[in-house]
Amino acid sequence: MSGANEYTVRAPSVPRMWSGSKMAGRLLGTAVIVALAAMPFVGNAYTTTFIFSVLIAYILAQSWDWVAGEMGYVNLGHYCFYGIGAYGFAIALTGHWPFVVALGFAVVVTGLVALFVSVPLFRLHGDYFAFGTLALLPLMEVLAYNLTPITNGADGVVLPVAQVLKPAYLLALAACVITFLATLRINRVRFGYALKSIRNDEQVAETVGVRIGPVKRKVLVLSAVFGALAGALQAWQMSYIDPATVFGLNVALVPVAMVLFAGSGLRWGPLVGVVVLASMQQWLLVSVQGYQAALYGLTILLIGRFMPGGFLRAKWVRRVPLLSSLAREHHEYNGESAPLTRSTADLPLKRLPVDRQKPLIELQDVRMQFGGNVAVNDISLKIMQGEIIGLVGPNGSGKTTLFNCISRVYTPTAGRVMFAGQDLSQLGRDQIARLGVGRTYQIPRPFGDLTVQENIAIPLMFGDDPLSPRDALREARAFVEYAELSPRLLARADALSVQEKKALEFARALACKPRLLLVDEVASGLTPAEVKRFVEHIRHVRDRYGITVIWVEHIFSALQQVVDRVIVLEQGSLIADGALSDVVKDERVLRTYLGTAAAAHAPQPAIGPLASGAA
Amino acid sequence: MSFDVLLQVLIGGVLLGGLYALVAFGLSLIYGVVRILNFAHGTLLAVSGVLASLAFSAWGMQPLLIAALLAPLMFVCAYGYYHLLLRPLTKRNHFESTVGTVLVTVGTLMMLSDITAKAAGATQRNIPLRLPAIEFGEIVISTTQLLILAGIVLLTVVMHLLLKRTWFGRAVRAVTQDATGAQICGVQSTRIKALTFAFGSATVAIAAVLYVLSFPVDPYMGFGLTVKAFTIIVVGGIGNLPGALAAGVFLGVAEGLTGLYWKPEWAPAISVVAMLLILVVFPKRVGARI
Repeated sequence: MSGANEYTVRAPSVPRMWSGSKMAGRLLGTAVIVALAAMPFVGNAYTTTFIFSVLIAYILAQSWDWVAGEMGYVNLGHYCFYGIGAYGFAIALTGHWPFVVALGFAVVVTGLVALFVSVPLFRLHGDYFAFGTLALLPLMEVLAYNLTPITNGADGVVLPVAQVLKPAYLLALAACVITFLATLRINRVRFGYALKSIRNDEQVAETVGVRIGPVKRKVLVLSAVFGALAGALQAWQMSYIDPATVFGLNVALVPVAMVLFAGSGLRWGPLVGVVVLASMQQWLLVSVQGYQAALYGLTILLIGRFMPGGFLRAKWVRRVPLLSSLAREHHEYNGESAPLTRSTADLPLKRLPVDRQKPLIELQDVRMQFGGNVAVNDISLKIMQGEIIGLVGPNGSGKTTLFNCISRVYTPTAGRVMFAGQDLSQLGRDQIARLGVGRTYQIPRPFGDLTVQENIAIPLMFGDDPLSPRDALREARAFVEYAELSPRLLARADALSVQEKKALEFARALACKPRLLLVDEVASGLTPAEVKRFVEHIRHVRDRYGITVIWVEHIFSALQQVVDRVIVLEQGSLIADGALSDVVKDERVLRTYLGTAAAAHAPQPAIGPLASGAA
Repeated sequence: MSFDVLLQVLIGGVLLGGLYALVAFGLSLIYGVVRILNFAHGTLLAVSGVLASLAFSAWGMQPLLIAALLAPLMFVCAYGYYHLLLRPLTKRNHFESTVGTVLVTVGTLMMLSDITAKAAGATQRNIPLRLPAIEFGEIVISTTQLLILAGIVLLTVVMHLLLKRTWFGRAVRAVTQDATGAQICGVQSTRIKALTFAFGSATVAIAAVLYVLSFPVDPYMGFGLTVKAFTIIVVGGIGNLPGALAAGVFLGVAEGLTGLYWKPEWAPAISVVAMLLILVVFPKRVGARI
């Protein structure tokens, strides 16, 4: 068996070093929080107000970064939630509601608004999402100006409170601590890994079983709720709000700039960015008269131009002792928690019962049409449990499209796909993945900024029998071992070579615990030895775990060693289906692959009655 | 409500919509080729409009001359801006180049608005050019509005011909569809990107002169305009000139009618609400190509 190898995973020395400093870190953190809590009682009002604004900015910045840094969606309208929270709270408080009820009202209303706008907004991606969210700001501003009976228009709302700096400050501090702890928690739970997989590749996230829709809505609502909390506290402290202060464009992008300045997606990025930029802003406010917006614009511009990844990610930071520990990416905190207990090529997969008489997957007149181009033309076929099928055909014959129809990357124009007796037509990609369809992509699509271990752990966390991240990361190591990637366990996936990426994809597909494995040209471009290893892997997963395999490949010598049957496509139609030795003699297949001259030289008796089309 | 008023509102709406469409088309050309959403795009109109109105009132320059000066000026500035601030960001990874361009263009927006407001005042301005009106019986048509309409039509035709008939236009369309493919076929895509960015910005300068002839501008109106332009792109499709015109006119008329039958304060909300609705009803519409 090829999987057995001599790599031993050396437990990285990082965790031991950190377990000591973790304690120190906690002590230091507690000390800082206590010192900050003492501030309103010992410091003057000016300093306290300044620190209060920093705390509010941190809540905003960090909650923004849950959507941006973790999930990769740049929400430029985050300030809307702050504004809605501020207005909700102010209006409730002027209606003489108790403080706690008003706060709760503000948070709930904002959460509902976020849920409502998430429907259209998440139809957008990339720049479009950024723009769509930014457009919410002028909309909210118009509403705040014009819904005069509720918002009092341009006059703003005066809150019926006196001096509340101290309680507001303490509440903001508590909210900050909760925000930070929430960030740590997000990075430890399955939800956080769902966000990270979405950030890297939504489609792949779905095909490994992540249900992305609810995750996206949930994180937007979560960030909105914290934004609303910040807004309500700020309104309470200022005891006055008007549309320009909570929806103005020049204030709205401040928290965004703060995060990006230090480093989005880093544990300490938002905090460092907020402290540095807020101090700078305060200094500007005191020392420069006029042109503040222009100067702030210039700052934002320069940050965007020179360090959109954040200064904490600059190379020099890694060499500065104190800063370098602030610059650690989240995954660098994932120490190895337990040593690898088994040293075997055994995968933690259950052996599936195989009944060769029962079909696992059945295609009935599946058709995929892109405009006038029929990529898959009414294909019907049946694949039995435990079969290994070679799917061949010239480039552009529809092999990958057929895979995409099965895993629901495309929705077939017509026809049905039955999997283990179940119709797949009403199911989403993630449901199909959880039913037991695992796949690789022709051009490898690993989650680039996650480690090899995390890449494999994600399907284990979102499978039919979901594991906690801790268990999933541990179990992932068996797959890493199997794919012979152990030396690269903690490497980022985008740093791998092409072969390593293909091996990773194969392992990740296996980690979906599939009943059916769709393998797309995994051996192309590999050396003969590497091809041989893949052939052995494919045979092994079938023989040992009962996984049915459909393998798209052009290397006939590789197919010959392992397939039970080949299916040949040409221009979207099924032209042959049978044993490899028979199919290679078929006239149509020869013509398709090698041209008419080859067909003319084909041995005469070979053209036999091949079943084309399904029974 | 008299028919006259309604007609006037409709004419105003069509003109405004045509101008929106010109702004949107510049933005969508830039987005198609350069893959950058220029958040400061509408602000260019605001700044050019203020400059044009100053040139008219202070130096008595004719609108045509102002446009002839402003457009090349904007072209040169935008060309330099692209090379200096935006092009270096294309070398970074996807997330960084996205947020980088957003921050650069938003920073530009804030600087332009603030500096213009400080230098020229934050008040509304226009070009008070009053030409004798033409009368058809009861209906009075202002010559200024006719001139603006002629300007819009001329600019649209010129842009259409430029895109369909010239080497530059073909290169632009090629890069829009597949930048790498175009590059392999010998299109110098960096140069085309810089030129498109400059060209799209220069069209805004011309649109600005037409705009101030009939509608007021102020330094802070730019972003609202960018939002409208974006809505028009979402509805009309990227790089689709007729689509942009239809969507622009629809939006302009809708805003005019909102002002007439309801309250003018709500007009700015129309575009955002329309955009969100379209996203819900026709999700596939977004990002349609040439």
